[in-house]
Amino acid sequence: MQEAQDISSVRREIVRAENVRKTFTLSRKQRAIEKSKTGKKVALDGLSFTAYEGEIYGLLGPNGAGKTTMLRILATLIRPDEGDARIAGHSVLKEPDAVRSSIGFLTSELKLEDFFTPAYLFGFFGKLHGMSDEFLAKRKDELFTKFGIDRFAEVKVGDLSTGMKQKVSIAVSIIHDPAVIIFDEPTNGLDVLTAKVVTDFLAEMKEQGKSIIVSTHIFSLVEKLCDRVGVIIDGRMAAEGTLPEVAGDRSLEDAFFDIYKRTVTGV
Amino acid sequence: MSNILTIIRKEFARFFKDKRLVIGTLILPGVLIFVLYTLLGSVFYDSNETYSAKVVHPSSVFAAVADPEGEESSFAFTEIGEDGIDSAKEEIRSGSLDLLIVFPENFDALLTEGEFSPVGGAPNVEIWYDSSSVSSSSAFSAVSAILDVLEDQASNRFDVNISAGGDLTSAEQAEASYYAMLLPFLILTFLYSGCMGIAPESIAGEKERGTIATLLVTPIKRSQLVIGKIVSLSVISSLSAISSFIGTFLSMPRLMGGSIGSALGSYSVGQYFALFAVMISAVLIIVSLISIISSYAKSVKEAASLSVPLMIVVMLVGISTMLFTTSAPAAFLIPVYNCVQVMAQIFSLQFSWVSLVITLVSNLVYIVLLVFLLTKMFKSEKVIFNQ
Ligand SMILES: Nc1ncnc2c1ncn2[C@@H]1O[C@H](COP(=O)(O)OP(=O)(O)OP(=O)(O)O)[C@@H](O)[C@H]1O
Ligand SMILES: [Mg+2]
Repeated sequence: MQEAQDISSVRREIVRAENVRKTFTLSRKQRAIEKSKTGKKVALDGLSFTAYEGEIYGLLGPNGAGKTTMLRILATLIRPDEGDARIAGHSVLKEPDAVRSSIGFLTSELKLEDFFTPAYLFGFFGKLHGMSDEFLAKRKDELFTKFGIDRFAEVKVGDLSTGMKQKVSIAVSIIHDPAVIIFDEPTNGLDVLTAKVVTDFLAEMKEQGKSIIVSTHIFSLVEKLCDRVGVIIDGRMAAEGTLPEVAGDRSLEDAFFDIYKRTVTGV
Repeated sequence: MSNILTIIRKEFARFFKDKRLVIGTLILPGVLIFVLYTLLGSVFYDSNETYSAKVVHPSSVFAAVADPEGEESSFAFTEIGEDGIDSAKEEIRSGSLDLLIVFPENFDALLTEGEFSPVGGAPNVEIWYDSSSVSSSSAFSAVSAILDVLEDQASNRFDVNISAGGDLTSAEQAEASYYAMLLPFLILTFLYSGCMGIAPESIAGEKERGTIATLLVTPIKRSQLVIGKIVSLSVISSLSAISSFIGTFLSMPRLMGGSIGSALGSYSVGQYFALFAVMISAVLIIVSLISIISSYAKSVKEAASLSVPLMIVVMLVGISTMLFTTSAPAAFLIPVYNCVQVMAQIFSLQFSWVSLVITLVSNLVYIVLLVFLLTKMFKSEKVIFNQ
């Protein structure tokens, strides 16, 4: 493990978030739920982290910690109030188009139109990514086989099962073979078999030299998959490093409770 | 550019492969309008109907007015004797006869030599009819109108349009000015309702369902997405309007008489070109406006209800030509209104290039501004993610 750390220190930074702040203005309904007096919710409170090329980085945190918010900023869907993030050298604020070309982004809020078939959507998104017909055919072949989509290629997305929908979403999100893959809770709502297809796929992508960021609140997923992990609590980075650095010799779960207690009580 | 085409192709695929949408937007409007107008037409206006009337002591003066020689008559008169009165009344009750007219004997002589008499004392023309029958009561109104004229003439203090005078318009102009009032209104209404059927679904619907976010994480520029949407929505709205227009075209003659076809035949190629350009700019403006409302709205439903006030404004502007027309150049700077006025000018054969150019140039500026605004909205997370 000492070795791995040495390598990581000379590795190139691929994703770097610096002091990212994001405050949401709450609607009246949300205000009642959040019991907020000010009508503002600080989702990210100066969050910084670094992920290196070729590793799987896990953003770990409880519900509402700000994981999805951070990833949406990386995907340029929303803009940070303060701070900036760079992906493969491109700033999400200044070069959002270049950032979008270099990432494959997946989150549950991104839906595919029920009306279309996976085959049609592949062609559509491939063209939006500026892919040649040849490259597109090759990717379609690869990904449809890998995820078992071939049999459903001509079935409307609306008629697919949750698992198959998720597989199509994953395939569409990485259709352009991006260098950086950003997945938000990729195994949420999936049965163990489908979840394994997804985690195996992420491991395979890492083998191919891709850089990967996943967010999750599932400890076992981090333990199995991630090279480094950042623990987010209340929009702040509570601990960051390789698994041994963060967990020591305890399980990640125990370590997390300690970190959580320390952060929340401020001791 | 290729991204814009990709978006347009997808929007077309979404629309044309969906039978429900194609039928609801392209086929039903035209068919409904045709059926509705034809039904209305057969109730309110029937140029081919002839009324059947039985006449006792027929009057040649009356017949000359009601049944002029060389023209198609709307009456079929049958002469009967006084003994036929009761059976004729029975025929009216049963609906097989429209009218029974009983003239006094020597009615024609009375018309020329008659003296003034107090009401009730003068010779009386009896008209028997059935007010619950549409054809019988219209026959009654027609005959009473003729008799009113005859009664006025009998006193003959003065005539109106008897020895001279008349309508100086050519038939072409009359028809043209008639359609000049109606067509801009119909065109605007058809375009607006066509667009209302698809734009909220395509923009607010994609927001609601989360499919637009999937597009926004691809490298496509927001402006390309906006232009692709507006172009495809404009084409489909126009097709929908054309469908409604065909329905109108086919049913109008039955509803109002005349034919749009002969009215349309009187315009030159240049006027058609002008009309085409104005309509395109009208479509683009309307589609942009509804698209902006649709991206602001949180759901398809909200988009539809927010578009209603704008529809009312557009329709009011559409009927403005029936109230007044203008040639002040500044008026052609007002969007939508300028389209209506130029269309009215074209249809009434009083077309001016100056107003066309002002209209097209100012609309182009508005369209660019609206597209720019829509792009801004698509870039704003407050607009796109405001669920
Ligand atoms: N659009 C929004 N408007 C208002 N508040 C928001 C919005 N998006 C997120 N929030 C709030 O910001 C905080 C962080 O949300 P976020 O979705 O990033 O958390 P998360 O770590 O992904 O949680 P989970 O594990 O539940 O997915 C939450 O309190 C959430 O309610
Ligand atoms: Mg989340």
